[in-house]
Amino acid sequence: MAQPYLKKDDDRDDEAEYSPFMGIEKGAVLQEAKVFNDPQLDPRRCSQVITKLLYLLNQGETFTKVEATGVFFAVTKLFQSKDIGLRRMVYLIIKELSPSAEEVIIVTSSLMKDMNSKTDMYRANAIRVLCRIIDGTLLTQIERYLKQAIVDKNPVVASAALVSGIHLLQTNPEIVRRWSNEVQEAVQSRAALVQFHSLALLHQIRQNDRLAVSKLVTSLTKGTVRSPLAQCLLIRYTSQVIREAGPNTQTADRPFFDYLDGCLRHKAEMVIFEAARAITELTGVTNRELTPAITVLQLFLSSSKPVLRFAAVRTLNKVAMTHPMAVTNCNIDMESLISDQNRSIATLAITTLLKTGNESSVDRLMKQITNFMSDIADEFKIVVVEAIRTLCLKFPLKYRSLMNFLSNILREEGGFEYKKAIVDSIVILIRDIPDAKESGLFHLCEFIEDCEFTYLSTQILHFLGNEGPKTADPSKYIRYIYNRVILENATVRSSAVSTLAKFGAMVDSLKPRIFILLKRCLFDSDDEVRDRATLYLNTIGCDGSVGETDNDMKDFLFGSLDVPLANLETSLRNYELSEEPFNIDSVPKEVKSQPLAEKKAPSKKPTGLGAPPSGPTSNLDAYEKTLSSIPEFSSFGKLFKSLAPVELTEAETEYAVNVVKHIYDGHVVFQYNCTNTIPEQLLENVTVIVDASEAEDFSEASSKPLRSLPYDSPGQTFVAFEKSDGAAIGKFTNTLKFIVKEVDPTNGEAEEDGVDDEYQLEDLEVVAADYMLKVGVSNFRNAWESMDPECERVDEYGLGVRESLAEAVGAVVNILGMQPCEGTETVPSNSRSHTCLLSGVFIGNVKVLVRLSFGIDGPKQVAMKLAVRSEDQSVSDAIHEIIASG
Amino acid sequence: MGLWDSFLNWLRSLFFKQEMELSLIGLQNAGKTSLVNVVATGGYSEDMIPTVGFNMRKVTKGNVTIKLWDLGGQPRFRSMWERYCRAVSAIVYVVDAADCDNLATSKSELHDLLSKPSLSGIPLLVLGNKIDKPEALSKQALTDQMNLESITDREVCCFMISCKNSTHIDSVIEWLVKHSKSKT
Repeated sequence: MAQPYLKKDDDRDDEAEYSPFMGIEKGAVLQEAKVFNDPQLDPRRCSQVITKLLYLLNQGETFTKVEATGVFFAVTKLFQSKDIGLRRMVYLIIKELSPSAEEVIIVTSSLMKDMNSKTDMYRANAIRVLCRIIDGTLLTQIERYLKQAIVDKNPVVASAALVSGIHLLQTNPEIVRRWSNEVQEAVQSRAALVQFHSLALLHQIRQNDRLAVSKLVTSLTKGTVRSPLAQCLLIRYTSQVIREAGPNTQTADRPFFDYLDGCLRHKAEMVIFEAARAITELTGVTNRELTPAITVLQLFLSSSKPVLRFAAVRTLNKVAMTHPMAVTNCNIDMESLISDQNRSIATLAITTLLKTGNESSVDRLMKQITNFMSDIADEFKIVVVEAIRTLCLKFPLKYRSLMNFLSNILREEGGFEYKKAIVDSIVILIRDIPDAKESGLFHLCEFIEDCEFTYLSTQILHFLGNEGPKTADPSKYIRYIYNRVILENATVRSSAVSTLAKFGAMVDSLKPRIFILLKRCLFDSDDEVRDRATLYLNTIGCDGSVGETDNDMKDFLFGSLDVPLANLETSLRNYELSEEPFNIDSVPKEVKSQPLAEKKAPSKKPTGLGAPPSGPTSNLDAYEKTLSSIPEFSSFGKLFKSLAPVELTEAETEYAVNVVKHIYDGHVVFQYNCTNTIPEQLLENVTVIVDASEAEDFSEASSKPLRSLPYDSPGQTFVAFEKSDGAAIGKFTNTLKFIVKEVDPTNGEAEEDGVDDEYQLEDLEVVAADYMLKVGVSNFRNAWESMDPECERVDEYGLGVRESLAEAVGAVVNILGMQPCEGTETVPSNSRSHTCLLSGVFIGNVKVLVRLSFGIDGPKQVAMKLAVRSEDQSVSDAIHEIIASG
Repeated sequence: MGLWDSFLNWLRSLFFKQEMELSLIGLQNAGKTSLVNVVATGGYSEDMIPTVGFNMRKVTKGNVTIKLWDLGGQPRFRSMWERYCRAVSAIVYVVDAADCDNLATSKSELHDLLSKPSLSGIPLLVLGNKIDKPEALSKQALTDQMNLESITDREVCCFMISCKNSTHIDSVIEWLVKHSKSKT
C-alpha cells in the first residue's frame, strides 16, 4: 500500500483509483497457484489466483510449456469444489491457457458431467469450454446434448450452444449442419441474444447456398425478428442478398428495399443506423433511395451520444465520396461537429465537409482546420491532408490557400507518415496545377533544409532535379541542393549530386558553376558520392561539346530504366556467380505494360513521389505473357487492352467456353478458354471456326488450335485477326470444332478413334469501346486546356426519348467505354441538364477527353452536345463516328 | 484406558470429520468407474462409457469423506496418472482379473508409476476385479503375475472383488477408512 501512496504525490492524474492488479508478477502468482493443491480448498482464494493468472495472460505474458501444464493440471483439481463462482473461473482459465490437445482432454469427462448438471451456469459454460476442446469423434457423442441445449429454455444455455455451433462449423461442418431444425426453432426464441446467435448460425450453415440465404431473408424480413441485434444481422444479410441479386432491375424497385426502409423507423438506434448504412452502401443507389437514409443520419449528427455522432459522420464521409450532393444537406450539422470533443468525430466531419464543400466555403473551412490541427493525432492529420489534396485538385483556383496550409503544417512537428503525406500532396499539386509549381518547390526546398527523414530528402531532391530546371529561375534552387552536399548524410549527399547534375545538364547557363560544385564533391568521404560526381562530370563534360551526345546524356539522367527492376535484379544475381562481364542488354526486357497498368487503375489514390512504381496488377500482365509466348502473335506489337471474359455458352452445358478479346494496334486476338465438363470424353484438336462475314474490316490472320482438352482442365485456343486501322467493329459467329474420343471411366484411357464434332457457340462482337482504355485524369480542366484546341470536334446529337437523364448519360458512357471524371457520371435528381466529363486512351495510345452536355425536355427528349479533344484529330473524328453510329 | 481412548475418538469424530484423497487408476475397462459407483451408491450398471479424462467424486463413509479421482485408463491418459496421485492417501489400482491378455501391460504400467519419486511411500491397494467371471485369477495368481511381492518401499494390499456382485466391497471400504485414520 505504501507504494501507491507515494505515487499519489507526484502524479495527481492517477489518484482516481488504482488497478487491483498493480504489481502482479508471474513468478509470484505461479507460487500462489500452489493453493490449488491444498487438501482444504479455499474457493475465494483460488478464484483470486485464477483472476491474477487471467490478468497476466491478458497482458500478453507468456507461460512456458512446463508452467502452463503445471497450472493446468492444478486447475483441474479444482473440479472437486462445488463453489459456482470458482467453477466459472476454472472454465475461463482452461479456455485461456489452451493447453495442448493431449492434455486438455483430461477435463472432458468433468465438462460432460457439468453440461448435464442442474446448474444452468455450469451447463452454459461447460458447453462453451467443451466445444472449444473437443474433436470430431467426441462431438458425435455429445451432439444429442448440444441439440437439446440449443432449444433449452434458459437463454444463457441456448446461446452458449449456438455460439459453440458457430465455432464448430469451422471444424466439423457436417455435424453442425444436422442441427438446422433446432437452430431454426431457436430463431423464434423470445430471448434477444438467442435470436441473434441462432440467426448468425443459421446463416453460416447456409452461407454457401445463395438460394437458401435468400429464402432465409425472405421469410425473416416478414417480421418475426424482434431482437435489435438480430435485426442488424438480418439487415446485413439482406444487403448481401440485394448485392448478389445484381443490378438486374435498374428501374423497378429493389427487392427488400421496403424492408430496409422500414428499419429506418425502428425504435432501436442500432437498427436505424444499420439500415441507413446498408442503404448507402447499395450498389448504384439512387438519390430517391438515399434521401431517407441521409435524413436519419442527419438526426444522429446532433445526437447526445458520441457513438451515434461518430457512426453517422463516418457513414456520411463514405457517402460523400460517391454522392457528394446528397450529403450537402448535412453540412450545417457537420460544421458544428468540428468543435466536437471527440477528435475522431471532428476529423471525419472536417474531411466530409472538405469533400462536399463548394469553392466559396474553402477559405472558411481552412481557418477552422488550422485551429484544429494542433490537437489531433498524426493519423487523423494524414486523413485531413489527404482530404485537402483532393479538395485542391477539385478547386485548382484555391491552390494558394491550400498550399500555404500544407507548407505551414509541413513546418510543424510530425512523424514520418504524416510528413510523407504532406510532401506527397504538395508534389501532386505541383504536377497537376502548373501555377502552384514555383511556390510548391520553394516549400519543399525549405523543408529539406531541416528534414530528419533521409527518405523524404532523397525523394524531394529527385523531384527537384526533374522539375527545378524547367522553372523560370533554376539558379535559386542550387543553394538548397548544395547545402545538402555539405550538411547531410551520405545517402542524401549522393542524391544531391545527382540533382545538381540534372540542373547542369538542363540549364546551360548554370553548367560551369555546377561543374565547380561537382568537382568539390570529388573529395567527399563517401564512395558513392565520389563515384556519382565523377560519373556526372564525365557525362556532362565541361568541354561544351553538346550535339548528339546531349540527348544521350539527358536520356541517361532523366530516362527511366527500360528494364524491369525485378529482371535486372535476377540478372545481377546470376552475374555475381558467372565470369562473364555484365551486359545490360542481356537483361530480359519482357516489355511489361507498366504505364498502361498504372493508368488502368484510375481509382487508385494518387501516389506521390514516394510511391514505388506500382507493378502491373491486372490480368493484362498474365495475358501479355501468354500471348507473347505464342510465336504467331509475337509480331503484333504491344498489347493495348484485354477485355473481361465473355461467356459464349450457357452455364452448365457440355462444354464451357468464354472468350477474351485482346486488342493490338493492327490486330485482334480472340482467346477462347474452353472447359470440357464431360468426364467420359477427351477432346482433341480443338479449334474455333470464326465466321467474320459480318465484320468486313477484319481478316483472319492465324489461329492456334488446342491439342487436347481432357475433362475439367481448361485449355485455350486462339484466333487472330488483322484489322484495318482505328476502331474497326464487327460481329463474329463462332463454332467449336473438335474430335471427340470416348474415355473409359474405369481406367481413364481414351479410345483410339475419335469422331469429328461441332458445337455452336454464341456470337461475339467487337465494339468501339473495346479500343478505349478507361484512364482518368485528376484535373479535367487542366488536361482539357493543355490539349490543342485545333483538335477539338464539336457536334450535337438527338438521343430520342429516354427514361431519364441519368439513363442517357450511362448509355453514352457505356458506348464510349471511357472513364468518367470528377464524379460527373452521377446526375442529380430532377436536373434538366447535365455535363459529364470523360477521359480515356484510344488505341494507338492517343489521349482523349470528352465533354458531354445533356439536356432533357418535357416529353423526355434528350439532346446531347459532344465536344472531343484528343492528341490526334482523326481520333476526335472517330469518337464522333462512334456516337453517330451508336 | 482403552475405553477412554475409544470414547475420545468417538467424541473427536463427532466434531472433526476426517478426509482422505484417493486416486483410482488401472487399464481401461478394469472397472474403476463402476467401483466408484458401487462405493458411492451401491448401484451397478453393465452399460458404461469409457471415462474421457477424470471423474471427481466425494463419498462419505461414516465420519470419513473420501475424495475420489477416478481417472481414465486409456493409453492417452496414463502419462497423466502421476499428476493425480501426488499427495493422495492411497493409490487404488484396479485390475481386470479375468483379462489375462492385458495383465502384463497392467503390471508394467503399475511398476512404471510406482517408480516415480513423487509417489514414494504412498500405500497401494491393488484390486482384482470381476471375480464373478469363471476365468478370473485367484488372489495368489494375481499377486504373482503383478509381481506385487517385489514392492517393498510401501504398504501394499490386494483384494479380490466383484463390483457386479458387490463382493468384498465392504472390506475395501474398511481398509480405506482405516488408512484415512492412520494418515491424519
